[in-house]
Amino acid sequence: MDIGYLDIVVAPWRSSGNHCVRCENFNYLSEKIDFRSRLLLFMLIFFLIVPLLLPAQSIKPTNPIQFKIKNAGIIVDGTISDWEVMVDFDPKKLAQSSIRGKANPESIQTGIKLRDKHLHGREYFHIQKFPFISLESKSLRSNGKNAFIGIFELQIRDVKREIEIPFTLTQTGKQQKFKGEFTIDRLDYGLGEKSLVLSDEVKVVIEF
Amino acid sequence: MKIKEWLSRLPLWLYGCMLLPLLAFGLSKQDASYFSFSDIPRIWTDEAMKDWELPNSNPEYSAQPVSEEFYYKLPERVIYKTYPVYHPDHEPEGYWEWLHEQEAEIVLDESKLLTEEDYIKAGELLFDYPIDTLGAVINTQHVRNKDFYSATNMPLTPEGIMPFAQWIVGGKGKVYLGNLSCAMCHTRVMDDGSLLKGAQGNWPGDKAFAFALESDGVSERGVQGITNILFGSPFADGDPHGKLLSSGREAIIEAYKAVPEGAFGRQGTSILYPPQAPNLIGVKDRKYLDHGGLGQHRNIEDMMRYIAMNQALDFLNFYGDYNSIGLTKERLKSGEPIFFPGTHDRHSDAQLYALAKYVYSLTPPENPNKPSAISESGKIIFAEQGCVTCHTPPLFTNNKLTPSDDFEIPDEHYDKYDIFGISVGTDPDYTMKTRRGTGYYKVPSLLGLWYRGPFLHDASLAKLEDLFDPARLRDDYVPTAFKPHDVKTKAVKGHEFGMDLNEMDKKALIAYLLTL
Ligand code: HEC
Ligand code: HEC
Repeated sequence: MDIGYLDIVVAPWRSSGNHCVRCENFNYLSEKIDFRSRLLLFMLIFFLIVPLLLPAQSIKPTNPIQFKIKNAGIIVDGTISDWEVMVDFDPKKLAQSSIRGKANPESIQTGIKLRDKHLHGREYFHIQKFPFISLESKSLRSNGKNAFIGIFELQIRDVKREIEIPFTLTQTGKQQKFKGEFTIDRLDYGLGEKSLVLSDEVKVVIEF
Repeated sequence: MKIKEWLSRLPLWLYGCMLLPLLAFGLSKQDASYFSFSDIPRIWTDEAMKDWELPNSNPEYSAQPVSEEFYYKLPERVIYKTYPVYHPDHEPEGYWEWLHEQEAEIVLDESKLLTEEDYIKAGELLFDYPIDTLGAVINTQHVRNKDFYSATNMPLTPEGIMPFAQWIVGGKGKVYLGNLSCAMCHTRVMDDGSLLKGAQGNWPGDKAFAFALESDGVSERGVQGITNILFGSPFADGDPHGKLLSSGREAIIEAYKAVPEGAFGRQGTSILYPPQAPNLIGVKDRKYLDHGGLGQHRNIEDMMRYIAMNQALDFLNFYGDYNSIGLTKERLKSGEPIFFPGTHDRHSDAQLYALAKYVYSLTPPENPNKPSAISESGKIIFAEQGCVTCHTPPLFTNNKLTPSDDFEIPDEHYDKYDIFGISVGTDPDYTMKTRRGTGYYKVPSLLGLWYRGPFLHDASLAKLEDLFDPARLRDDYVPTAFKPHDVKTKAVKGHEFGMDLNEMDKKALIAYLLTL
């Protein structure tokens, strides 16, 4: 294995070394590291990261995430259109499977522009501080034919919570189609405050 | 400026009026019995005054009120019997002469106030009681002149009473015109001639003041002086009031005349962007007072503070080193009384308590607009259009402050105040360029729309229909109520909600709004 590769990995830190103490320390360290430990470091990085990256395929779904919330007795339909998922899913190897998703709350749409802008603000998604919503499977189990239940960690703003999401899989050839639905309490995630007209529960539909 | 110098600059009519009533009433009433009412809060404490108001949009110029010590040294107001003011054509035979035969009569004895009802009743009396006999707005000559009524299009009751001012008898032969009762600005003469106390008033106050300035022949310097006292805010970006002053006597008087019924250039606000006179019916449930939410309203003490400040101790506030009546901090510290309307005496805490209790007790009249099929469909549109988010039932406000377009919300405000961090885009100037401006507009309650108007914080729209008329967003629009004196047209920007609805849906929405 060519050591040059490691240099590429380390180089970006090195080149900016003059400006920050931490980088200089790294420089200083890396000069002391002999070839063998460099190799070891590389192997470590390689084996840590590569397995996570390679098998999963990242998809940018065409369907937006959909949600519904009751406001003054009326159901408001909204979407979040900018999102992506990484799926490594084998119904026969659920223990090794994983599903991860990341959504950009800036792409939220509810049909009223000013309302969307308000949802970006700090009382709701606070996108300046929390630019992503993330969802990551923790465990997956079967729930009948082509049906599954996953325990996912959902992070909105700075709140992480585990939630259970039942979902289905339709497989045609190599193509996998997933659909899941769940309900969250927006107050659990600091989305707005208790309101007389806006319900706490938000129903979310994810399809890809 | 020294007080003497300042006094010498005042218009003669104002100056002349100042001394008379003091002679009539004497200065103080050395009766501290109210302290025995253990449940009456002491409201003007240095501690409490520190942070009950929001900072100015330009925080260095946030109001600094007079000290607790100064405040409580002021003599308490004595409440005399008042008599109605008639249009000269409607005054009963011999009324004027009869008034001059009357003796002064003190009508409020605080030591007799025991129950909640007692306080509310006393509060109503105080609500109708003018705190000023110095001629703060108008005086005897004006109201006894028929031209005054036609020039101002003054609403009258069916009896020919002008309900916005009262006669005060301070002793035999001493009949003074009283200004600045709450009723002056917070009473509405309804279409049928009935009086609705506490409603958005329809006193054409600034037109009346313009009449006073003109008919008294007040000099340019006089007009500039009083206008500066009322609205001066040299620290505001571009100093719009300084510019108004330098535009000269006629232009300033035009600016007063431009303020419509239902709005009033209260001190510290503006006649360039005059505040709508708010509806006091239902104020108990509002968390912020003034259009900019200047005064927090967390409890009855805050309401009492608001009344004390606005009637009219805020003339003595410093904004940075600026004081609009030309006081210096040394002058204020000397403790000598300052003879200006509303600043040389104060309501007692018991009086403030009574006033607050009365204001809280106001209830709306029965709404003649009953729910119908149309209004019910409007109710759904109200929800669909997202109005509910801000105008949340049952108060029809979420009680929050929205920033104006020009205001950057300081981080710490999110913890201190109730903020809805989105601008609705209405004219920012009232809240950015006045002594009372905070940078915010509060979300107003929509209750009682049917008996009010004009609408928006600056009273620029006469009708609800106008609010949903997209034409108002264009520069060639002629505002249907307040229009600045120096323009022919002006876009009424912002609050672009419900504007894309079709005519039917708009009708339904308005039908619904009128049932609230
Ligand atoms: C000369 C006219 C005038 C007089 C007198 C007057 N007010 Fe007002 N009042 C106003 C105006 C105008 C406003 C709106 C001010 C603003 O938003 O800048 C206001 C605001 C208020 C508010 C805040 C309401 C809200 O919803 O924001 C209260 C409460 C109030 N007045 C009570 C009183 C009481 C009680 C009195 C008598 C003790 C009184 N006012 C006397 C004109 C007047
Ligand atoms: C984002 C919050 C928000 C939404 C949504 C909203 N409003 Fe408002 N509304 C305000 C604010 C703030 C004001 C005061 C603006 C001003 O005076 O400058 C106001 C003023 C008004 C007024 C004038 C009230 C008065 O006393 O002058 C009416 C009427 C009104 N809104 C109706 C509606 C209707 C109907 C809808 C839905 C079609 C709606 N609003 C949506 C915040 C909102």
